Amino acid sequence: MTHDTIGKKISDYKSLIFEKFNGSIEKIYNKNYNELCILTSNPEASTKVIYFIYDNLKCRLVTMICTDERYIENRLDRKGEYNNFKNEIDLMDKSHNGFSLRHVFSNEVEDIFFIVTSVLSNVDKPTYPSIVSHIPSAVYYEREISDMFGVIAQGNPDTRKLVLHEQWPVNLFPLRKDFDIKRRIKRRLNDHYEYLKVEGEGICEIPVGPVHAGIIEPGHFRFSVYGENIVNLETRLYYTHKGIEKLAETMTLSEALLLSERISGDESVANSMAYCQAIERMASIPIRKKATQIRTICAELERIWNHLGTIAGMCTDVGFAYGSSRMNILKEKIMRINEKSSGSRLLFGINRIGGVKVDIKPVILHLILDEITHIRQDFDNLVKSLQNTSSFMDRLKGTGIISNKDVLGLGANGVIARCAGVDVDTRKNHPYSYYRYLDLENIQGIIDKISYEVELNKRKGDALSRFEVRVIEIKHSIDIIQKTVTDILDKNAKNDNIDSDVNNDDILFFDSLKSHLKPYDSALGYAESHRGQTMHWVMVGKDTNRIFRYKIRTASFCNWPLIELAVQNNIVPDFPLINKSFDLSYSGNDL
Amino acid sequence: MPIETSASVSDILIGFIQFMIIIILAPLLTGIMRKIKAITQKRIGSSIFQTYFDILKLMKKNEVISQEVSWIFRFSPWIIFSSTLVVAFFIPIFVVYSPFGLGGDIILVIGLFGLSRFFLMLAGLDVSSAFGGIGVSREMMISSLIEPALFLALFTVAVTYGSTNVEIIMSHTAESSILISASLLFSLFGFFIIVMAETGKIPFDNPATHLELTMVHEAMVLEFSGKSLALIELSQSIKQLLLMSLLINFFIPWGLSTSFSISEMIVGLLVFLLKMVSLGILIAYIETKVAKWRLFRIPDLIFLSLASGLMGIIFLFI
Repeated sequence: MTHDTIGKKISDYKSLIFEKFNGSIEKIYNKNYNELCILTSNPEASTKVIYFIYDNLKCRLVTMICTDERYIENRLDRKGEYNNFKNEIDLMDKSHNGFSLRHVFSNEVEDIFFIVTSVLSNVDKPTYPSIVSHIPSAVYYEREISDMFGVIAQGNPDTRKLVLHEQWPVNLFPLRKDFDIKRRIKRRLNDHYEYLKVEGEGICEIPVGPVHAGIIEPGHFRFSVYGENIVNLETRLYYTHKGIEKLAETMTLSEALLLSERISGDESVANSMAYCQAIERMASIPIRKKATQIRTICAELERIWNHLGTIAGMCTDVGFAYGSSRMNILKEKIMRINEKSSGSRLLFGINRIGGVKVDIKPVILHLILDEITHIRQDFDNLVKSLQNTSSFMDRLKGTGIISNKDVLGLGANGVIARCAGVDVDTRKNHPYSYYRYLDLENIQGIIDKISYEVELNKRKGDALSRFEVRVIEIKHSIDIIQKTVTDILDKNAKNDNIDSDVNNDDILFFDSLKSHLKPYDSALGYAESHRGQTMHWVMVGKDTNRIFRYKIRTASFCNWPLIELAVQNNIVPDFPLINKSFDLSYSGNDL
Repeated sequence: MPIETSASVSDILIGFIQFMIIIILAPLLTGIMRKIKAITQKRIGSSIFQTYFDILKLMKKNEVISQEVSWIFRFSPWIIFSSTLVVAFFIPIFVVYSPFGLGGDIILVIGLFGLSRFFLMLAGLDVSSAFGGIGVSREMMISSLIEPALFLALFTVAVTYGSTNVEIIMSHTAESSILISASLLFSLFGFFIIVMAETGKIPFDNPATHLELTMVHEAMVLEFSGKSLALIELSQSIKQLLLMSLLINFFIPWGLSTSFSISEMIVGLLVFLLKMVSLGILIAYIETKVAKWRLFRIPDLIFLSLASGLMGIIFLFI
């Protein structure tokens, strides 16, 4: 869909919503070509709009962003300074300050985001009505906001702490602007977390973690089991909360890029791409086509190596050594391609705001084509032999089933959603970068095929369907890489390498970036990592080179709650397999 | 062949050599099987002597013992080790004579293995950690199914050769030149499955895993460290060698030395080692090619062994 058609759609929605909620909307405008911002007069009015968007427009809640805008009121006095920006900036025209809350919804069919903003002007006791009873996926966002900002969702039945554990002092909210990042915290040791108690004869509790065997990150799993059957699982994460969002507020735009790569080490391309795209959308600067192609190649390489690693991990967890060693060989091959093309095995340092840092030379492109074709053949054979190994297939079949309803209710995305037949893929729903030019119809066809097969065999949402979705995605990613590489090579052949140097206007660009950004402007940036949609929201400060608020929501944040549902009625020894088939990141969750 | 009832000094020496060979070679067999597994996975793998280094290293280490445990936890490794050693005395490996063989009844062998497992399970429960409990309950489930299957498989052998004494059975098998009996083939199949289960091989248990939640045997020994762990690892290696040598000598007996002549004994030893390594390769290969079965499907596999043992007995009387 082109920008024009999206613009037309947005103005349709704009008039629709404006007419319906005439009294309660202060302002409604679109920006960054596909974001429709709705500023409501009070939180209650905002709830009505939210319900309308969720129910009638069939949108998914993709993130909830809270910002502390209490201390930026003096910019109103100096409004004249910014008069040359005639575009609407949501904050500038507000008559009051406080905590503002943005509910972001995404329309999966039409590539539109709805951002419903409400300002909580009661800064001493900021509250807003909870939407959990209507939109269950909001529960984790509301708990997070309550921990980090002290902004309470009234009516949310789950008042437990989420991000900050009990050792964190009461009434100290790290993401508020008056919290100094260098402040030292005295831990509270007298409070502890109450796990859900399952009672009855023969019920045992198995505590696992937070420190695990093997090299993985910390997370606590509290199983209540009846024999081997899991009755309930409670996960507790955030043991390594890194304060990324707070840290970003001390950084310049280019520094925060490095930070975004490190949100979760294996999603470096996806996260930095989302970040860069947020800034690029905000500044509305065009990106060179070749840069988008390189980004796409790297993003797909990242998807392939991670999916291969996950399949290898699933083999390891069921003790199938042959599969895991062969998959790891393929993964290693991809990582060597990564190193050859970008200098980093984990694809760090690919993206920069406005383009890419690395240029992949035609020699390397040919090499990628060659290698990837071989890998495709090996992979096909290997998958065939995995599918013929009955002991392996038997372990996957019917293990860790998640229902379509849970996926929709809890707002899961990525492989987890697709394995249950929910067709969400940011590359397709909100095409960005070079995906805009690629024919992604293949994905559609594949998803239809899966849901058909899945329904046919009544194994919706189990580990086997996750395995199959990953297999299909690897093949599809290889197709995308082949297509993109061929496109670059074709263009090179025609234009005699005019476009090959992507870095030549680097310095020029950074000078102009500042003038492109408006103070306190904001934008969404999004990408599909191998785990699913990663959604970033950046708001620049008064000095447009600094970040005022950087909200990150990775796919892991949305998908972690699903695992508690997936393991129910499974047996304890299948948990590692289910966990691996989900392939969630602790680091991407413990921001 | 009549059994010599009075053991001479040379007999005792031979018996002792056999015993020492079992103890010394047991870790090597484990090392070889690990190496083969590594090669089939296209890894280099650790040296085949790594198991010795591990045991020696553990011997030097201090033990960390939970404050919650009773004497059972401290004594279990010794009971496990000594009961395994007693079995090692009974089972001849390359000469059919064993000076201590008179008491070497097959039922006693099973009983001693049962004793060591019983104490391992007690120790697993004694530490009162969740993982120990999980491991024990799984081990209990598996072993309660294995034991009847094991009896059935060995029963066929015992009835075929007319004795439950290991030495007598072996002296008979050494004479038989080829395996012709269908009943023995069935019980071989049943016994092979049991060996895989008893030694914690892959369709049953994955000893190489780091995932506590999937462990069976390893979950019980999680809390052991230092010398205790060394003893348990060594007994596990010895048990594996003993079970595999029972399988070899009952069902594939060719090359077994029947006299005390040096040349024949050396041939016997070499053939035994060859057979052992081949069996090790077979098991390691199966372990690589098969995924661990779902816990509640393991009984299916053991029932297969049970049924096979039963078929053996039926064929014996047909």
